Amino acid sequence: MSNNDNHKGEGQGHVHAHPDSPCWSCRGSVDQRAPFCHACGIIQPARRGDEFQRLGMKADFDLDPKDLEKRYFAFQRTFHPDRFATKSSREKQLSLQHATDLNEAYDRLKAPLSRAEALLETKGAGVDDHARTESDPELLMEAMESREALADAETADEVAKLEALTRADIELSEEALSLAFSADDLEGATGIVTRLKYLLKLLQEIRRKRLVLNN
Amino acid sequence: MAYSDKLIEHYENPLNIGSFEKDDDGVGTGLVGAPACGDVMKLQIKVNPEGIIEDAKFKTFGCGSAIASSSLVTEWVKGKSLDEAGEIKNTDIAEELALPPVKIHCSVLAEDAIKAAISDYKEKSAAIAKGEAAE
Repeated sequence: MSNNDNHKGEGQGHVHAHPDSPCWSCRGSVDQRAPFCHACGIIQPARRGDEFQRLGMKADFDLDPKDLEKRYFAFQRTFHPDRFATKSSREKQLSLQHATDLNEAYDRLKAPLSRAEALLETKGAGVDDHARTESDPELLMEAMESREALADAETADEVAKLEALTRADIELSEEALSLAFSADDLEGATGIVTRLKYLLKLLQEIRRKRLVLNN
Repeated sequence: MAYSDKLIEHYENPLNIGSFEKDDDGVGTGLVGAPACGDVMKLQIKVNPEGIIEDAKFKTFGCGSAIASSSLVTEWVKGKSLDEAGEIKNTDIAEELALPPVKIHCSVLAEDAIKAAISDYKEKSAAIAKGEAAE
């Protein structure tokens, strides 16, 4: 891992890790990632680092959900519109930008699948799924068979069994993701991400069928 | 969003749903997926000894546009040679069904599925020819 990768994950802890740029208001020097000017204290533009940086966290798949939430709420208070109610329209606009970035980052890091995708992007191994056709026969065969099993299920009991199996499978996949990332096996992690997408889609369809059967 | 009549027709009354025996000599199977939406599409062709696609079937778990694209493609390939079928472009499918821009990838999936079925059939018949030559 290069030095560049190393400091990427450490969020806002290193004040001098990033070049300074002038504050838009007082023209004083301010660290590029600092949300407020060191000199005049005015809010700076949101600089859209990756999701982990935006929440001041280490870029890691395994994170403590309580820690994530705590950081999110703390930042949210910092950028809350109420605190900018009496400020200039430029400052109001910037605070909104920060709040939006923060919400996006929190939503993405909260769920294991999107967190894994964010981490792959941070490590330069992101995949644009919208333009991609999957052709792994094993994975697709499995997806096809489980969707067929769901289509064939006639009773709520059968659907409940499929749901339990799918949930267990999802949990295992998330554990496998954690292992892959700790071994820095990005290719392995990418494969699990794809499989997890199919499992979550399956779970969504299971829920839909359960609603139909219950009504 | 307004969908075209042709798309709705293919979605509500899809043609050629089903499967052929995967291991039949004359059958080629293409299995592809779109991970972004969790779609999976199986498209099969039945090829006669003259190399003409006699029949085609599909099974798709996905959105309406993916189902309509597969239904349309299975109709189009019937009676075509493998080379002709291989020339079908996703843009033809998207145009015929008037797919909205966000659904273009469904037509790409159908094109990839037919291509995968053709190459599966070709690989299979090459293997059979090799086996016969060895006898």
